[in-house]
Amino acid sequence: MVMAEAKTKQGSSRLKDANSRKILDQYSRAKRLRKQLEALEQDNFQEDPHIHLNTPNKKLPQFDADEGAPTKKKRKTTRGDHFKQRFRKTFASLVEEEQMSLKEPPNYMTACIPQSKFPARKFCSVCGNPSNYTCVTCGSRYCCVRCLGTHQDTRCLKWTA
Amino acid sequence: MSSASSLVVLDNGAYTAKIGFSSDEEPKLIQNCIAKAKSERRKQFIGNQYEDCRDLSGLYYLLPFQKGYLVNWDVQRQVWEHIFGKEVMNLEPPETSIIITEPYFNFGSIQDAMNEVFFEEYQFQAIHRTNAGTLSAFRCKKEPPKELCCMVVDSGYSFTHIAPYYDGKKVGNAIRRINVGGKLLTNHLKEILSYRQLHVMDETYVINQVKEDVCYVSSQFMPDMEITKLKGAENTIVRDYVLPDFQQIRRGYVKDESSASSANEQCVSLQIIRMNNERFSVPELLFNPSDVSIQEMGIPEAIVHCIGLVEEEMRPHLYKNILLTGGNSLFPGFKERVERDVRAMAPLNYDVRVTLPEKPITYSWQGGKLFSAAENFKELCVTKKEYEEYGQSICLEKFDV
Repeated sequence: MVMAEAKTKQGSSRLKDANSRKILDQYSRAKRLRKQLEALEQDNFQEDPHIHLNTPNKKLPQFDADEGAPTKKKRKTTRGDHFKQRFRKTFASLVEEEQMSLKEPPNYMTACIPQSKFPARKFCSVCGNPSNYTCVTCGSRYCCVRCLGTHQDTRCLKWTA
Repeated sequence: MSSASSLVVLDNGAYTAKIGFSSDEEPKLIQNCIAKAKSERRKQFIGNQYEDCRDLSGLYYLLPFQKGYLVNWDVQRQVWEHIFGKEVMNLEPPETSIIITEPYFNFGSIQDAMNEVFFEEYQFQAIHRTNAGTLSAFRCKKEPPKELCCMVVDSGYSFTHIAPYYDGKKVGNAIRRINVGGKLLTNHLKEILSYRQLHVMDETYVINQVKEDVCYVSSQFMPDMEITKLKGAENTIVRDYVLPDFQQIRRGYVKDESSASSANEQCVSLQIIRMNNERFSVPELLFNPSDVSIQEMGIPEAIVHCIGLVEEEMRPHLYKNILLTGGNSLFPGFKERVERDVRAMAPLNYDVRVTLPEKPITYSWQGGKLFSAAENFKELCVTKKEYEEYGQSICLEKFDV
């Protein structure tokens, strides 16, 4: 009995292994892809090197300033703020505004090139060579057992970018 | 310098601003960004000032443009003030007219802001806003062989536009955009190098130089792929690139194969990146965006697609005059690849001719210079007086952006 159990266990270890492995559903795969594409649009990967610097606070009272100066300064900043408010828009809100404005067809949205007629080529996510295999778990491509190993050890389900 | 009324052409790209007086031979190229370095605390580098910085590792960028459109006005105005100021152009805006370029299909509120900034803040005498491609097409029309139609392919930092022109006028409903540009290529190269070899995610500046120095467009992609799998001397593609350390080496370079053995002991301390299939698989994204799952056509297919959108009579003339501009067309082999692929997809009875100008980056600036000498140029400008009289509406009327 015990022997038999052990034997079945041994025989199906690979199958069991495959079954127990988590498989990403299409939504998380799509989300992952979107994150990857967003990363390609980033200006910087690192954070601002000056962010932790204590910049001298300009609002500290200046005792040597004469009486008339502060009001003059204030007017100048409000002028700048006005400009900022009217034109400070993110890219997303600009696109939204364009969609709402119902301009006649040739515009930002209609100018996007459609999908290619040719099928997409597949490349190994590890080494970049043409690939024939897909990772069961996450859908990434790989070209050989070595690359699959690297992929599972590093990126499969551990996407951090 | 600033005579009674001087004229300035500003091709305001997302990566470099090209600016110069209409009397200049060549424009000045100014980086359109503010950079911050790790080594220089409490100092920002506007435009090209970063050239004075000793240590350029981990350079941090503040960019005025996002996805090709002007979004960060604070940054842009600082850069413009620097450009117009003493350090670069030394302009007197009230005595100056200016031609400024914008991307295709620029958003309405950005256009309004442009008018406001140039008339109300800087107080230019007169302005003319247009697309960079329009200036390129203008120059193309004036220079031999003086074709009537021109297919402008402008592959820049943020994206690539395919724009057909007829007699200097753009065919608006046949302009298409591919969301692949130099920035995406650099970021992709950064990403794959960081995964495969060395963490360089913070080194946008350095990796951009690597891209410019060793990447090329392959005309035989799959055979080249096979070559990169070979070892030793048979692999004619692989290059070792020495990264700068900003101590002894200020700029990276390709390691010379022949001197490798002699300088071997010195090489131990060098940081080297091995560029193998990365050399051509990165620019390949311009031709197959689907390689990184961007569901769009590549440049040659897009050219054929766009030509298919115009009237049949115009098509052979467009195939005959395809003009490549923008920084990406500097990749070695770019022109040959476009020519080959378009030829393969175009109808047999049409001639295909692709032109790569000597200086594709400043081509449209030169077009602007030519345009400023045109007879009807004055009529196409909006003067400050007109703006004060009619406001934004006259700009909408006069400018074809």
